[in-house]
Amino acid sequence: MTVIGTASEQHSAPDIKNRDPMVPYAAVVEKIIHEIADTATYTVVFKDAVVQEQYQFLPGQFNMLYLPGIGEAAISISSDPADPGTLHHTIREAGNVTGALARHRVGDTIGIRGPYGSAWPVEAAVDMDLIIVSGGIGLAPLRPVVYHVIGHRSDYGKVTVLCGARSPADILYPDEFDSWRDHDIEVIVTVDRADKNWSGHVGVVPMMFYRLRPDHTRTIVFTCGPEIMMRFVVYEALARRIDKGRIYLSLERNMKCAVGFCGHCQYGPAFLCRDGPVLSFEQIEPFFGVEEF
Amino acid sequence: MTESTPTVGRHVIIPKDGLQAVFDSLMSAGYVIVGPTVDQEAIVYETIENIAELPVGWTDDQGPGQYRIRQRDDGKFFGYVVGPSTWKKYLYPPELTLFTCRQLDGELQFETRQEVSKFALVGVRGCELAAIGIQDRILLEGLYQDPHYRNRREQAFILAVNCTEPGETCFCTSMKSGPRCDSGFDLALTELPDSFLLEVGSELGAEMLLKSSWKHAGAFDLNQATKLLDQAENHMGRSMETSDLPELLYTNLDSKRWDIVSQRCLSCTNCTIVCPTCFCTDVLDTSDLTGQQTERKRVWDSCFSSDFSYVHGGNTRPNIRSRYRQWLTHKLASWSDQFGELGCTGCGRCITWCPVGIDLTEEISAIREGGLV
Amino acid sequence: MESQELDELLQIKPWFQALDPAHFQKLIDIATVASWSEGQIVFDEGDQVDLLYLVMEGRVALEMYIPDRGRRTILTVGPDEVFGWSAVVPTSGIRMASARAVTQTSAIAFDSQALREACEKDHDLGYFVYRRLTNIIAGRLSATRLQLIDMYGKERN
Repeated sequence: MTVIGTASEQHSAPDIKNRDPMVPYAAVVEKIIHEIADTATYTVVFKDAVVQEQYQFLPGQFNMLYLPGIGEAAISISSDPADPGTLHHTIREAGNVTGALARHRVGDTIGIRGPYGSAWPVEAAVDMDLIIVSGGIGLAPLRPVVYHVIGHRSDYGKVTVLCGARSPADILYPDEFDSWRDHDIEVIVTVDRADKNWSGHVGVVPMMFYRLRPDHTRTIVFTCGPEIMMRFVVYEALARRIDKGRIYLSLERNMKCAVGFCGHCQYGPAFLCRDGPVLSFEQIEPFFGVEEF
Repeated sequence: MTESTPTVGRHVIIPKDGLQAVFDSLMSAGYVIVGPTVDQEAIVYETIENIAELPVGWTDDQGPGQYRIRQRDDGKFFGYVVGPSTWKKYLYPPELTLFTCRQLDGELQFETRQEVSKFALVGVRGCELAAIGIQDRILLEGLYQDPHYRNRREQAFILAVNCTEPGETCFCTSMKSGPRCDSGFDLALTELPDSFLLEVGSELGAEMLLKSSWKHAGAFDLNQATKLLDQAENHMGRSMETSDLPELLYTNLDSKRWDIVSQRCLSCTNCTIVCPTCFCTDVLDTSDLTGQQTERKRVWDSCFSSDFSYVHGGNTRPNIRSRYRQWLTHKLASWSDQFGELGCTGCGRCITWCPVGIDLTEEISAIREGGLV
Repeated sequence: MESQELDELLQIKPWFQALDPAHFQKLIDIATVASWSEGQIVFDEGDQVDLLYLVMEGRVALEMYIPDRGRRTILTVGPDEVFGWSAVVPTSGIRMASARAVTQTSAIAFDSQALREACEKDHDLGYFVYRRLTNIIAGRLSATRLQLIDMYGKERN
């Protein structure tokens, strides 16, 4: 009935066939950028120079970050795929592992394995208009798409970023928006709740579709954020006659192994670590509205 | 006494006590034999060395939420079906160390160890052989391979047994996984009244037969076996219609039946523990007191456990209804999209070992009927 | 503004493209153009309700005054969006929120009394107008619900 695509060899984890997939590589925290409250971007470098050199990723993929004795967390890579030597992970404190990571310092060693997961289909979006809709930390796995677009700007038509956040203090990477605009990318920022000094848009990010007049024959939507936000983004996109095969979401579920064995991340027939996290609405439509699925 | 080796694909006959010679050959070749034995009022899989440790003269009576063993009036070696153990215990163990990690001067050293145990699995039924095949698909034929499973699996010797007396909760014929073992074994045994008929499945299997006083099977023996297996095929305890799977479940995600079954289900996870194809696991991180040496273990998990689908901020399957639905729709629907086959082999364990006797064959029928009763 | 300029302005608005010429003319006849500079108040909470606005250019912030929290923007509206819809839904007769131009803004204004009379006289026009308004209000409600449930949830402690 549903065809969830099986993962192809999009992963570029070094030595994928022979290595024990559960054993991490050692990596050093090279830089920590405090973004917003509870959220920081960690730049890591593999200790093994060969691994560092061979490592590649696609936009939307994630790594499993390992803290010995504590556990692992699946973290999206938020840097430029054209520059895999610089690996950024934007992490929000949400549990044991991410909480412990927040206490790490530059120079500390952690474990990393990856990359895993399906990527945003930037190839399919060539010669099309792209609408990127992010909610909160959802901008982290979408930022690599923006970088890719900037690096290949003439490959794409109209590109718009709709960035939503709870409040002005929760907007991620605000200092980059102007440089994105310099590359002919429209960036519209909105918050759910304004503060005293905010003079920008106020309103939930799906409503920002009213700012746009997308040509439904050539528009692709990439969205990542709270699932309820993505649901409404999908409604708004469908209302503008954008094809459900051209609306891509990044879903999140509990992940333990990231290699399709532990069973935790299943969403219907999809293993989100392998068939996802990026899936088209067409693929997930039968399950998307089912409560407690 | 040296004899020429039987060829692969041929059938041979050995006297029942000749099985000990097979055991001895296996042990000489370094195998640890694991097979059925009576323990704590059940027939379970343990390490054995002597054929006398097999449940000779025992049988089992099974039903939804019921399991008893009792003695038979004949000396059959394999006159029972499957119990609470599965071969997962050896191939995909309940607890496994993935690696140890040592922190030294800012370095992280990861160490893995492959314990080298060659197992000879004795008494593998058709449904179990199919289940092992299903786990092969998941753990060896995907984008990633599990090296621990591969190691154990590649080294395992399989002595399969064709079932001649199906149990009350058995429905392997519906799932096309038995009662006959067709392939994937080193030896396949059918118990005849006074001997064992063995099909040679591999050269290794042939080798282990050498000292067992084997002779080629005759037409009479083969006929007897065929009759027994045909009979078995027609005496399954249960059946399940599968022609409309997976669609049946995909189109009934909102069936009332889920509400009904979840009133009974205790979310005790027994079914996932005894199921030979269930593969969900969790990871456990432990540390010594200094934090310098840590260990990561893989342990069995169950989609019925309440934290299984916990994501920060909440649980996407917060009640038994959603978790039971996940288990059944995974087993009989999503599995086929994921692995090209259904995840159930009709062994009946989940029915027998469910404390409230939930029967998935009944659940599927009920959903098919509209889920109202 | 000349009726002709207004004409042109409105014609390009998707709203109005679906109207037949007669209805279009009736709306033009009761429409005026308003504009505000950055920071200027359009109306205050508690004011008498009189005009319905369709934003042409710029941005308007809808605000509410909360004692000991001060004025907070609850929503912003931009080009092609409507605000002040309480003008056509006679409930309390006073504004429920304030409106302030965030940037230089221009809008088409419809006198609520005149609009209601026009709709009363011509039910077809009325149906068209109220159908459009219902869509807008429904969209607002949906958006407000999302704001209410705080979809980012536990993002900040």
